[in-house]
Amino acid sequence: MEQEKSQILSKAGKEPGFAVPEGYFETLTATIMERLPDVEITDIEAKPTLWLRVRPYVYLAAMFAGVWCMMTLFNHLNSPMSNMQRVAEIAGGIADEHNADEFMLSCGLDAYDILTYEDSVYGYLIDSIAGN
Amino acid sequence: MRTAYDEATTVEQLHHPDTARAAFSRVIEHYSSQLYWHIRRLVINHDDANDVLQNTFIKAWTNIDSFRGDAQLMTWLYKIATNESLTLLNRNRVRMGISLDEEGNETLVADLESDRWFNGDEVQLRLQQAIATLPEKQRVVFNMRYYDEMKYEQMSEILGTSVGALKASYHHAVKKIEAFFEQAD
Repeated sequence: MEQEKSQILSKAGKEPGFAVPEGYFETLTATIMERLPDVEITDIEAKPTLWLRVRPYVYLAAMFAGVWCMMTLFNHLNSPMSNMQRVAEIAGGIADEHNADEFMLSCGLDAYDILTYEDSVYGYLIDSIAGN
Repeated sequence: MRTAYDEATTVEQLHHPDTARAAFSRVIEHYSSQLYWHIRRLVINHDDANDVLQNTFIKAWTNIDSFRGDAQLMTWLYKIATNESLTLLNRNRVRMGISLDEEGNETLVADLESDRWFNGDEVQLRLQQAIATLPEKQRVVFNMRYYDEMKYEQMSEILGTSVGALKASYHHAVKKIEAFFEQAD
């Protein structure tokens, strides 16, 4: 364990045994300062914040998102009915007794005709509803 | 009379054209000794340590705009100093034809006994020889933990390694140093 300090390390201590020339640290700051190049420091207050920097991009993204939403809505409103929606509407029309009665009256059909020509009745209904 | 070093004020002044240079002078004054010893323990030689230290501060100064105060100034400077030290060591290894994959760097301490800027005793010399046998990462971790007594969390920020990995590195380093001494005895 780290806490159980190694005997060897205890003997060696924390001093590495290095030395520096006399007065080295006293003159170090001045020596380094002399070597520093001129750099342009940007005033922190003049620097735009992160929000100011990203704001145009956020606005642009929001504008594109808005346009996309509008186009999606427009397409949705104008799009032709899907097959599934059409089939569901046809099925509803067939199930409505009023439509069936109207068809029978207009064609002078009775129950026998319907049984006989069931397929053609359904075919007619499907065609007439699909045509609406 | 020298005024007390205040990190927050200094960092703020570093980002104003009128006060930046004076503030940086205070940064050097405050951190140079600590950074020098960190670099010296890595590169061993005084002249190399001096060069690396000066380059560290020059690099920090030229990139001062990129320091936004998110991390501690000391962490940032340690990071630059460590990178600069390892770059110098690797450059020296390449110059001497030593593979970068090779573990340890015994050539670092080959002339330590006769180095005029080494005044350690026999045990300190042998400890430096033992540290030189460690892989680069373990050597950095051992020095920062043992000599600087740096917290693992801060080391993690500087070296970009997890605390767990650093603890393991330090543990392995101590074991290897002990083995080195046992082998030599």
